[in-house]
Amino acid sequence: MKNNLEKLFKPKSVAVIGASRDPDSVGHGILKNLVRGCVFQAEFCRPFKGRIYAVNPKASSILNTRSFPSIKDIEEDLDLAVIAVPAKIVSSVMKDCAEKKVKAIILISAGFAELGEKGKKLQDEITSIAEKANISLVGPNCLGIIRPSANLNASFAPSMPPEGNIAFVSQSGAIADSIIDWAIENRYGFSNLISYGNKAMLDETDFLEWLDKDEKTKTVALYIEGMKDGRKFMEAAKKVSMKKPIVALKSGMTEKGAKAASSHTGSLAGSYNVYKAAFKQSGVFLASTIEELFDISKALANQPPAKKNSIAIITNGGGCGVLCADYCSKLGVNLPDLKDSTIKKLDKTKKMHPAYSKSNPLDIIGDALPETYEAAVNTLLQEDYISGLIVIQTLQTMTNPEKNAMILIEARKKFPDKPIICTYMGGKFSRKSIFMLEAHKIPDYNDVSKAAKAMKALIERNEQLKK
Amino acid sequence: MPQLNFNRTKKIIDKYKLPFARSFLIKSSEEAVKRSKELGFPVAMKISSPDIIHKSDAGCVAAEIKDEDHAKKAYEDIIKNAKKKKAKIEGVIVQKNISGVEAIIGMKSDPQFGPVILFGMGGIFVEIFEDISLRIAPIDKKIAEEMIDEIRSSDILKGARGREPVNIKSLKDILVKISNLSMENKKLESIDLNPVIVDKKTAKIVDARMMEYEK
Repeated sequence: MKNNLEKLFKPKSVAVIGASRDPDSVGHGILKNLVRGCVFQAEFCRPFKGRIYAVNPKASSILNTRSFPSIKDIEEDLDLAVIAVPAKIVSSVMKDCAEKKVKAIILISAGFAELGEKGKKLQDEITSIAEKANISLVGPNCLGIIRPSANLNASFAPSMPPEGNIAFVSQSGAIADSIIDWAIENRYGFSNLISYGNKAMLDETDFLEWLDKDEKTKTVALYIEGMKDGRKFMEAAKKVSMKKPIVALKSGMTEKGAKAASSHTGSLAGSYNVYKAAFKQSGVFLASTIEELFDISKALANQPPAKKNSIAIITNGGGCGVLCADYCSKLGVNLPDLKDSTIKKLDKTKKMHPAYSKSNPLDIIGDALPETYEAAVNTLLQEDYISGLIVIQTLQTMTNPEKNAMILIEARKKFPDKPIICTYMGGKFSRKSIFMLEAHKIPDYNDVSKAAKAMKALIERNEQLKK
Repeated sequence: MPQLNFNRTKKIIDKYKLPFARSFLIKSSEEAVKRSKELGFPVAMKISSPDIIHKSDAGCVAAEIKDEDHAKKAYEDIIKNAKKKKAKIEGVIVQKNISGVEAIIGMKSDPQFGPVILFGMGGIFVEIFEDISLRIAPIDKKIAEEMIDEIRSSDILKGARGREPVNIKSLKDILVKISNLSMENKKLESIDLNPVIVDKKTAKIVDARMMEYEK
């Protein structure tokens, strides 16, 4: 059942088939993730609130959860089954699920199409079981699904990331997995983490269509290795991207395609270039690294589009401002000259240093106090010809990162249509203020080049929506 | 991946009203002289053979043919060089010699996305710099324009450094027609229009190669 994914993401009951007492096993990890929210304890872990069952013929109770010999022995209705048993018994387990009228299955087990012809046959067999029984099937060979807002960690990922508004849909389990620890450290929030593995039934297009309607998701981040039906994806992406931004990272960048000497076009239109064209045509942002994928997604999910390509930079460090201007100009982010009338307004605030730059980037000098930032930020945001701000802060003896953050949070409320992107250049002593900013949906980047890229995406987003 | 012969290729080109440089397929040196005169010197000749892909490397191309003797000799040399390669020979194509900026327009049928349209500048731009743009078909005139704007060397077409700007509309027209053609002929695996020569007045396809899927 491709059209009803509600039970998959918002189940009221979950059974783990292959739940094990062995703490080193996948089945044990999944059960623990449901019972406690995570294995590696983090502040964002919450136990699943619905009913949880273990299925293991050799145990009566695992992790204080009642265990049943077969899923058929459970009397209550079941929404979701997570399967982690050897490939050779998957089809019989799935037949039991069909009989039990389970609505959705996450098939963690490996040993299917990724192994070649024989595995493919087995995969086709289990897919047809799911199709006949109207079961939504994720996987096989996947990490699982995490939906923090539902306290659902139906995966063998180490922990639970914070709740947020970005959905990450990943063909790779390892990439979905590895960003969780990072997300916890950086408080990067997710609405859903979806690892879909071999996509025997549900693929990126199906998830995209569901996320379009998911009230928790503002932006979709995709990691893609390959697709079966590119045109179907384009159709869905064109529709979804009008409502929610989509950012994709595609692997296989260096693959030159078969250098078929008989066709010029064939060798030039290598697979990666074709994907790039398809993304462009369907309004999908292309990221070139994992970091960029989440950097751009963060900006698009939390900031409004820049109504015009006309951006100002405010900085208390000259070098950082100049570098940021370089990156902006390279990317085509336009930095207009400040009008004389704007300079007059800045002078009138009497908060500017005598040597402030009077140009864009607006260098308010190293000793800028919160009131200097406040005057600069509000004066520039009031100008019609400035559609967005990049605010840079370098830490000096008199700098007050938290007060500066408060000023930006206020400005964000006063000027909801103008994006603000921050670069608090620092580490330990900027951390608290960065969390403050991001908790109020002002994205911060540790480097001005990333801030420039984020702003570029917000300018492009506006152009996409105008089309 | 069989290549369509000259006549079948030409038939498709005519059906879609693609601007092909006026050409004749000739099979003798007498015909070479006759058709060259008809086209008006200077003319260009090249082999028509499914086996020879890199025609100039094989010595199977002659340009700037200025008179009857030259036409006769060019024909004979091309045939001689093609025979050295033991190639299947359909004949020799004679065309009016045209000059202008070289572009390449192509199509490749991608297994995941279907027909993909390519635009690039010809010669070293495409060979060395891979300066191309791609779009999934179908495309309209607006997307065709984006494709032309997108390549790094597009200023050459627009008249950089005192050059005369070329007729971009005629290039857009070919791109859209190739898109229509490939959406309607799903048996085609790839198309190379290489080169398409464009000047301020018009664009002409000088060479076309079409491949179809094996049955």
